[in-house]
This record gives sequence, C-alpha cells and structure tokens, in this order.
Amino acid sequence: MSLAVVTEHLSRWYGNVLGLSDVSLEIGPGITGLLGPNGAGKSTLLKLITGQIRPSLGRVTINGQPVTGRPELFFNIGYCPEQDAFFEGMTGFQFLYWMLRLHHFLAERAGLEAEKALRLVDLYDDRNRPIKSYSRGMRQRLKIAQAIAHDPEIMVLDEPLNGLDPLGKRKIIRLIRDYGREGRLVIVSSHVLPEIEALTRKIILIHQGKVFAQGDIHEIRDLIDRHPHVVSIRTPASRVLAAALIQQPFVVKAYFGDDEESLLVETKNRDQFFRFLLEMAAVKGIKLEEITSPDDNLQAVFDYLVGKG
Amino acid sequence: MKPEKKYLDAFPDERRGWPLFWQSLRKVYSFSFFLGKRSKRSRLFAFLSFFPVLLSVFLRVEQAVTADASFDGLYFFNNAILLFALQFLILILAVFYGCSIGTEDLEAGTWAYLVTRPIPRTALVIGKYASSVVVMALMVGTGIVTSFLILNFERLGQIFIYGLLLKDLAVIFLGLMAYTAFFTFLGASIRRSIFFGLIFSFGWENVIQYFPGSTQRLAIIHYIKSLIPLPSTGRFSFLTFRLEPTRPLLAVVDLLGITIFFLTLASLLFTFKEPRVED
Repeated sequence: MSLAVVTEHLSRWYGNVLGLSDVSLEIGPGITGLLGPNGAGKSTLLKLITGQIRPSLGRVTINGQPVTGRPELFFNIGYCPEQDAFFEGMTGFQFLYWMLRLHHFLAERAGLEAEKALRLVDLYDDRNRPIKSYSRGMRQRLKIAQAIAHDPEIMVLDEPLNGLDPLGKRKIIRLIRDYGREGRLVIVSSHVLPEIEALTRKIILIHQGKVFAQGDIHEIRDLIDRHPHVVSIRTPASRVLAAALIQQPFVVKAYFGDDEESLLVETKNRDQFFRFLLEMAAVKGIKLEEITSPDDNLQAVFDYLVGKG
Repeated sequence: MKPEKKYLDAFPDERRGWPLFWQSLRKVYSFSFFLGKRSKRSRLFAFLSFFPVLLSVFLRVEQAVTADASFDGLYFFNNAILLFALQFLILILAVFYGCSIGTEDLEAGTWAYLVTRPIPRTALVIGKYASSVVVMALMVGTGIVTSFLILNFERLGQIFIYGLLLKDLAVIFLGLMAYTAFFTFLGASIRRSIFFGLIFSFGWENVIQYFPGSTQRLAIIHYIKSLIPLPSTGRFSFLTFRLEPTRPLLAVVDLLGITIFFLTLASLLFTFKEPRVED
C-alpha cells in the first residue's frame, strides 16, 4: 500500500477557541512542508495526525486506517515534538535506547540502532552525557534522532530545525531530504519560510486554523515576492550603502535605524537585492556586520496575503 | 522501511490487542521502573521509608538504657511500626506516586514520546502503575524488614516470626496496590489531585475508619486493618479502636476488587487524556 495521510473535514476546538477548521488534505510520499505563523494550527494538525488529540469533527487516516486507538500504526511513524522536553535524568543513549525498547526492539538491537541514530545526528560522542547538560541544538538533534531511530516510513516533524546552529541545520535538512528522496512520507512544520524552501517544493500554508493555500512553493513564492520585504543591515558604511541602494529600481525605500550603523531597506525583489548587496560588499569593500530579515517571519507574509499588510 | 520482524519483540498481527498489549506492558514496566528507581522523588521517599528503622533503633537504645526486661519487639513492631507503615507511610507514597502516573508526562511534556509508540494507552497506565507499586514496595519493605530484624533480634532463630513478617509484607503490598490504584484514578480525573489525595488520606481515611457499623467499610484502611493482628490492650490500642474487622479472605478480595475497579477507571480516563496544545 502506498503511504498516505488523509484528513477529512478535520476540525478541533479548545472550548470556544478554534484550533483547526475543516481541514481536508491528502498527503503522499515525499516531503510536505507545513507553513504558518505561530498559533496558526500547525501543531494542532500534527497532533491530530499522530492521534495525540482527537478531532472535534472529521477524521484522520494513515494508510487507510483511522489513527485513533490503533497503536500498531506507530511501528511505522516517527514523531518529533516541538516542545523541548525530555526525561532529564537520562543520557542521550539511554533515552534513545528506551524509546526503541518502547518500539518493541530487542534489547541488543535497540542499543545498536540507538548508536546508529546518534551518529546520524552527530551526537555519538556525547551519547553518555546526561541530556540536561546538552545545548539547545543538541537537544533538538536528539528529538529528531528518536523520531528516525526506528526507521519509520512516515515522519511527522514539528519545527525540527528550531534552535539548530547553521551547520546543524544544514545537516538535518540534508537528512530529511534524503528521507524524502527514498519515498518516505515526511511532514515538516515551520514558521520560517527559507527553512521549508530548503526542504521541499510541496507546501501547505496554514493560517488561523485553516488551510490557506496548498501546492508548489513557487506559486506561493510568487505571491510572497510581490510583498515588499524589509531587510535590516548593520554596517559602519551605512550612509554609502544607503546612497547606492536607493538608486536601484528594486528598492522601495531605505531608512536608518536607531543608531548610525543600522540601515533598514524595503525591497520588492529579494533576490536582486541580495545579489546587489553582495556585489557592493565585494567591490567597494563594505563590511557587513549583520543582515537580518524581520519579514522571514511568516506572520508578515500572511498579514500581507490576507490583506492586513 | 519497517524494522524486520527478527528485531522486534512484538509484531502486530491480524488479531489486534492482547499480544501487543502484554509486550507493551512489559516494556512500559521496565522503562518506568528504570526511571522510578533513579528519580529524586524515590530518593526522598526512600529516606522517609527508613524512618521505621530509626524508630526501631531508638526503641532498642531506650531499652538498653532503661534495662527494660519486659521489652517485646514483636509487640512494638505490630503496634507501632506496622501501623505507622499502614496508616501513614503507604498513604503518603501512594498519593505522590499514584497521582503522578497519569499526569507527570503531560506536565513534563514527555507525553508525546510515549503515546506515539506502538503501545496501547492502557498498557502505559498499568505498566507505570505496576512499576510504581514495586518501587514503593521495595522502599517500604526494606525499611520494614530491617526494623523487624532490629526489634526481634533475640528471636531470629524462631521460624514462626518470619511467617508473621511475610504476612505483614503481603498486607503492606495489598495496601499499596489498592491505594495506588485509587490515586491513579484520582490523578487521571481531577486537577490538584495530590492536594485532594492528601485530604482523602488524612481526612476521610483517618476519620471514617473509626465510625461504627458499616460506615467504616467505606475506608480502604478498614480492609487493610482487618488483615493485621487485632487491637492490643496496650498503649497503642487507640490505633485500632472500634475496628469491626471484615473476614480476612473477604478483606483480600475487597482490596483486590478496589484495585481492579480504580485501575480500570483510570485506564479508561487515560485513553481520553490529551496534552495541552501550544501552537
């Protein structure tokens, strides 16, 4: 049977608060990105898919079987929660070992598979350290390791790249992409657009508990690219840079921040803007201390798309 | 790719339910026991469980100082140590362990790791319950056996006292099972269950047991006390005041019934438990 996660008119309320409303989706093999700002309903949807909570209306099936009350489905599902929570007294190895034992692996095999998963996420050398001594990024990688250690065909990863350093992020992105290429069904949630872009072209946009758009990321990208982006640059040569940038057609406006060294630029074409910025830095020797993009937060994009921006 | 069958203890087949349930129960028990024996809570309560030993040493020292020839270790054990264990120690342990069975993972956020495994939720509750009872029994049992040996030092050669000790340990175990099942249910059904559990333990249980007639049968402690030596006439007789014991066999059946009833209810409630969603 081919892998499929199907939701039919899925709704969930928390008292009077709407968590998710009438969500019907069919997710197949490969990587599907679930994008939405904080509070959009991503975690609610993933918890419903993994049977942790029950729908108020509608239903979820995995490979044709309803997820609620069927623990055997989880032989084939890996779930990485968003919450940073662990059995703190354990070491990384013990945690993975016991998670595999709870997956009914034989003791010896559980040990071997735990080590293998620790190697995959670069935690093997730290396997005997208590989890409470792990950094935020290490804890995140350990959460991912417990979701993949039993080699599932379906992976549900809730904000898996949160808290990872750039190197760790790249490594995990590569790992997830490999799983997608192998034909596994991977659902990844994030509120950071470039993270999802790096993983997949197939995305679902979710906002205020509803599926807002669904399909190829380029279609969404087109919508988003019409939205002017604000980029914040910190440089000692802010005035020189501002003078050069303001003459470019893709720059809507440029203004200075609270101090002399920070420059905020609004652009309607991010790609052209960044290309030009890097050229300036290389040719004129402008030192760029920091570049941040407040608009990478999807909230701004969604506000724009729903007409608030 | 699904893990190969040879790597797994359990493997789902067409007959859903029992095989996976029993395998899961074993796994949850082992996992929970591993966590339980190392937890801060267990260290704290192990210290509390050692109190009977301190009390026994104190009584022994007092006897040595006063050169009291009438000192009867068995009498002190039955009327002070055993009743302390049954009326206080197992209650306080059962409240803290039992109430947390259904809630600690939800509160700590570790719930998601457990409910997304191929493990029935009922097996999660019962496995955790079983390991908690065993951890508590080991703590209380160690203290009780040690204090028994200290108090009955002169009688260690008499075989019959070991029979009495085994019986007392069995009563403690039954008490732990019944109370922990009740508090597991309480923890799964209401908030602030530890607070209400303490009120139940030291309010209801301590008052109702002294009511005459059938009313005292509404307290779990009534059935536990029905299994221990009848009230003495000595200075500890107030502890079993007004006890109108149920027949021992019936008391055992009642305690097992209480255990099964509340554990079943707790399991059902746990099936519908949900984490708080922070999206």
